[in-house]
Amino acid sequence: MTLPPILRRWETLLLVLLVAIGAVNIAWSPFYLGVGNIVNLFQLSIEKIIVALTMTLIIVNGEIDLSVASVMGLSACVAAYLFHAGIALPWALLASLAAGAAAGAFNGFWVAYVGLPSLAVTLAGLIGYRGIARILVEDRAYGGFPDWFNALGQQPWIGPVTVSIVVFLVMFAGVAVVLHGSALGRLVYVMGNNVQAARYSGVRVKRVKLLLFTASGTVAALAGLLYAARLGSVRGDMAVGFELDIITIVLLGGVSIFGGSGNLVGVGLSILLILNLRNGMGLANITGNTQTSVIGALLVLSVLVPNMAQTLHTKWKGRET
Amino acid sequence: MKKILLATVAATMLGLLAPHGASAQTTIEPGKPVEMVLLPKFLGILPFDQAHKGAEEAAAELKNAKTLQYLGPTPENSVAGQIEIVTNATTQGVGAIMMSNNSGDQIVPAAKAAHAKGIKVVTWDSPIPSAEGEDVFVAQVDFSETGKVMADMALSIMGPDGGKFAILSASPDAANQNAWIAAMQTALKDPKYAKLEVVGIVYGNDQSEASYSQALALVDKYPGIKLIMAPTSVGIVAAAKAMQDEKLCDKIKVSGLGVPAEMLAYTKNGCAPQFALWSFVDLGYLSYYTAYGLATGAIKAEAGASFKAGRLGNYTITKDPTRKEGLRVLMGPFSKYDASNVEAAAK
Repeated sequence: MTLPPILRRWETLLLVLLVAIGAVNIAWSPFYLGVGNIVNLFQLSIEKIIVALTMTLIIVNGEIDLSVASVMGLSACVAAYLFHAGIALPWALLASLAAGAAAGAFNGFWVAYVGLPSLAVTLAGLIGYRGIARILVEDRAYGGFPDWFNALGQQPWIGPVTVSIVVFLVMFAGVAVVLHGSALGRLVYVMGNNVQAARYSGVRVKRVKLLLFTASGTVAALAGLLYAARLGSVRGDMAVGFELDIITIVLLGGVSIFGGSGNLVGVGLSILLILNLRNGMGLANITGNTQTSVIGALLVLSVLVPNMAQTLHTKWKGRET
Repeated sequence: MKKILLATVAATMLGLLAPHGASAQTTIEPGKPVEMVLLPKFLGILPFDQAHKGAEEAAAELKNAKTLQYLGPTPENSVAGQIEIVTNATTQGVGAIMMSNNSGDQIVPAAKAAHAKGIKVVTWDSPIPSAEGEDVFVAQVDFSETGKVMADMALSIMGPDGGKFAILSASPDAANQNAWIAAMQTALKDPKYAKLEVVGIVYGNDQSEASYSQALALVDKYPGIKLIMAPTSVGIVAAAKAMQDEKLCDKIKVSGLGVPAEMLAYTKNGCAPQFALWSFVDLGYLSYYTAYGLATGAIKAEAGASFKAGRLGNYTITKDPTRKEGLRVLMGPFSKYDASNVEAAAK
């Protein structure tokens, strides 16, 4: 029994699931296809899916960045803190992006130049950056941003589409070009497959890794600012736990946790899949643990199915020869 | 002249009476179909389930043909989850959202969007701090009374010699807990509490494990404390369990705001000799009456509006004295529990 290659692809499975979920949503809720709902569907998770794009690069590269949600919180808190200390908001925003870049570069330094595992380094970042964020804003909630800032996260810009959604679409195109159409993208895959081989063939492994982690930190900071703009108020616990949702999206997209394989089409489909699933469950009044469990089950499948298929495939081949 | 004077007096008196006449108790008309969402801070703890029970009771009395939706996020995803639920309810165009707000002012954009679509937003248990996007807050008890009740329990447990005690709260920006703690600090200024001293506040984020370890951390950090005061139903149970597990109940007592069913064992064994609470069932019930009344147009969200809320009797909407802006309906009163009455209340 051999399936045509296109049907064996992970992306095909995601597409089938996506169509199925879309169909169920249409059947269940008359509100699902409304323009406002489609915009909300993206808006409610927009910061996570923006960070998922750089996370894809990191994971394909064979690393992980657990600190992204803490960097999101840190950037929002830095901006709010500086703004309330009397600094003009544009400068505060720039400073917070710089803080994100610095946090990412700090992670990258330990991973690339010292050779520590990114799991450990960014776990420390997850705790440390959140700590700094909490020290900055303490127990307070900072609001009172100018209207133009809140509008960045809340108001439609092009038609019904918000600034955040435009940022996401532009970044999606950008990351697609980098990963699938550039020399850097090829290096990301090569290193993800076999970092030793890459090193011996003259790839500047350290520089690439530092660049990726810095990009991850910067984008997380940008996402944190968009989140602050969407909510109109900043607290120390902003975006806590988001890293798991972000990594879930990437893994469900068929990106191997061991690096070296996966593509942005899969991640794009996975984003649509999870967002539509969440939205559909929300409109069907399924919330809380039930919702979490369904998405959790999906992730378990996404990790198990390809691995089991691989194992079975190898066994089958072994029998043939 | 005398007649004119008399007439003036009469007119003035009528004038005084008129507002009362105009705001006579509105009877809320049952039987209208209104989609309503009850949104707790998160699912899975008893007080919110009790509020749900009370809201269901009111829904049955008001013969609302639409099923009450009890929707909530998980504790870990409370803020983003509440925003998501409010946004989806807005998409669905429900009639009213009743929310125990856990998101501070971060809920404001979502609440305003709901409000702009004509949805009535009633908060209960915990309001929107800025009151933006909110019609009315159904307050459980007066915040200053909460402070006094906690001060009294502290005095009664620690005795006339007083001593040091610490506070285990929910999250650092939980609007209600902060207001209660502030009210207690104010109450403690009364000379009668002169020997009571608050040494510190820690936060367990309304999660059992975090609250448990924060309670133990308090014991290490402030040796010699005689009491942990926890104005949160999650925190008080966790603290009582921590003291019981560490066999510290002889030295350190626990008090605060708790649910009788959860506190029964600890009150019986002396770890938490006294605690207080309002009825969450009644709070859910009153919130439902308020939201239903607003959504059906029977009540207007303005100071002075009065209405009858079923078995609980009459209530009036007033300006909320605990916030800069906003309206509230005050439920009250407190119930205090100790070994003598906790068993009956736990049933």
